[in-house]
Amino acid sequence: MVTVVTLESRVRAALEAVMDPEIPTCSIADLGMIQRVEVGAEAIEVDLLPTFVGCPAKDVIGADAEAAVREAAAGREVRVRFVYDPPWTTERITAAGKATLREYGISPHWEGGPASGPVVVPLLSKKAGVPCPYCGSAETVMESAFGPTPCRAAHFCRACRNAFEGFKRKEPLLP
Amino acid sequence: MPDDPRLTLLLALADDELVIGHRHSEWTGWAPHLEEDLAFSSIAQDEMAHARLLYELAEPLAGREPDALALGREPQEYLHAVICERPNGDWGYTSARQYLYDLADDIRLEALETSSWKELAGVAATIRLEERYHVEHAELWFRRLAEGPVQARERLASGLEQALPEAIALFEALPGEEALSADGTLPATMEHLLGRWLERVGADLEAVSLDYVLTRHTRLGDLVPTSSGEAEEGPTLEVPGLEREDGRWVHVGAFGGAGGRSGRHTDDFRELWDEMTGLYRAIPGATW
Repeated sequence: MVTVVTLESRVRAALEAVMDPEIPTCSIADLGMIQRVEVGAEAIEVDLLPTFVGCPAKDVIGADAEAAVREAAAGREVRVRFVYDPPWTTERITAAGKATLREYGISPHWEGGPASGPVVVPLLSKKAGVPCPYCGSAETVMESAFGPTPCRAAHFCRACRNAFEGFKRKEPLLP
Repeated sequence: MPDDPRLTLLLALADDELVIGHRHSEWTGWAPHLEEDLAFSSIAQDEMAHARLLYELAEPLAGREPDALALGREPQEYLHAVICERPNGDWGYTSARQYLYDLADDIRLEALETSSWKELAGVAATIRLEERYHVEHAELWFRRLAEGPVQARERLASGLEQALPEAIALFEALPGEEALSADGTLPATMEHLLGRWLERVGADLEAVSLDYVLTRHTRLGDLVPTSSGEAEEGPTLEVPGLEREDGRWVHVGAFGGAGGRSGRHTDDFRELWDEMTGLYRAIPGATW
């Protein structure tokens, strides 16, 4: 029993050290992607939740996770797979994850509210007030929901005049 | 046609996403401005990923791998609605089609979230969280073009006139649909979902005084059956099957642009299919 617990904690530690290749300061644990870890007598099974279905980093993350777990697996078989139930939501990102995102120049998007007052690009500035990760100002607008990766939107800060990215909000829809 | 109605449902959903995703990707490098270039590229990426997820769910039913389902079928084996295969046309048609399609997708995904088939319900919920951004994008362009200037409004209206009759066929009954409804796999019939879609589209069009497109349209595509089997004389002045009853738009009877769900497609798809599957056919088993 004791050895199993030890192995499980080793496996978890290995998994938690896997970084998102597109946000190198943020681990997959901080992004809330680890859904299930099961250490069996013969095999270790890991279920991961992708942030966005079309995430091009998914294959790399899966391979990195598998390699990390294999190293800690003491010869057991390793099975890593992506699952979609429950859907991943932005609420799964930990407080530490939010801090590392901000550090990397990505604002956690869900802190903003709907746009109010005059906006420069009326079509695209649907959200405003997402805090700027550089200067902290809330004088910001979302310029497009479609940024450099499926999970990131493009914002602009009027205070420090920097473009920045925000993690796209993903949470259960109201009925 | 697949024997298993669940496979028919999955292929209809996945093929819609794959084919319209392919059309969206054609805006990469050509959209009116950089943000839209990125938006359509990103939406295309999402749609193709959603298609892949649905093909993965279909794999055990079809006995074929996701790549083989996406790229290894003959044109007549694809079950997407004809509207998805139409060329992008101008920005008015592109915006009109994206609006009509993504609203339809949202409505059917909402229904599928309560499917008795748990895996499908989970997949539908996951996909819908991402589609929300597509719907927002489409609605923003819908409003922006509808509010003018005149040329923008006219182009949107003409895009809607062209797209509407074929968009209705997104809700064409699926072969074997009764079985899917009976066991709760498809919690609402396609006809019922069409009614909900029409309510939303009708309200949106009325809000910008463009509802006249529901009763006027350009000539229909080549798959529209007529009672005599021949093209009728002169332009028809109504989208087939749409009527206004008790203050709301309802669908009765015929479909325009029907046939996609049974694998009947236009020459537009032949061209798209040639390009989309070209590499897969030329080098079977190629990996990146």
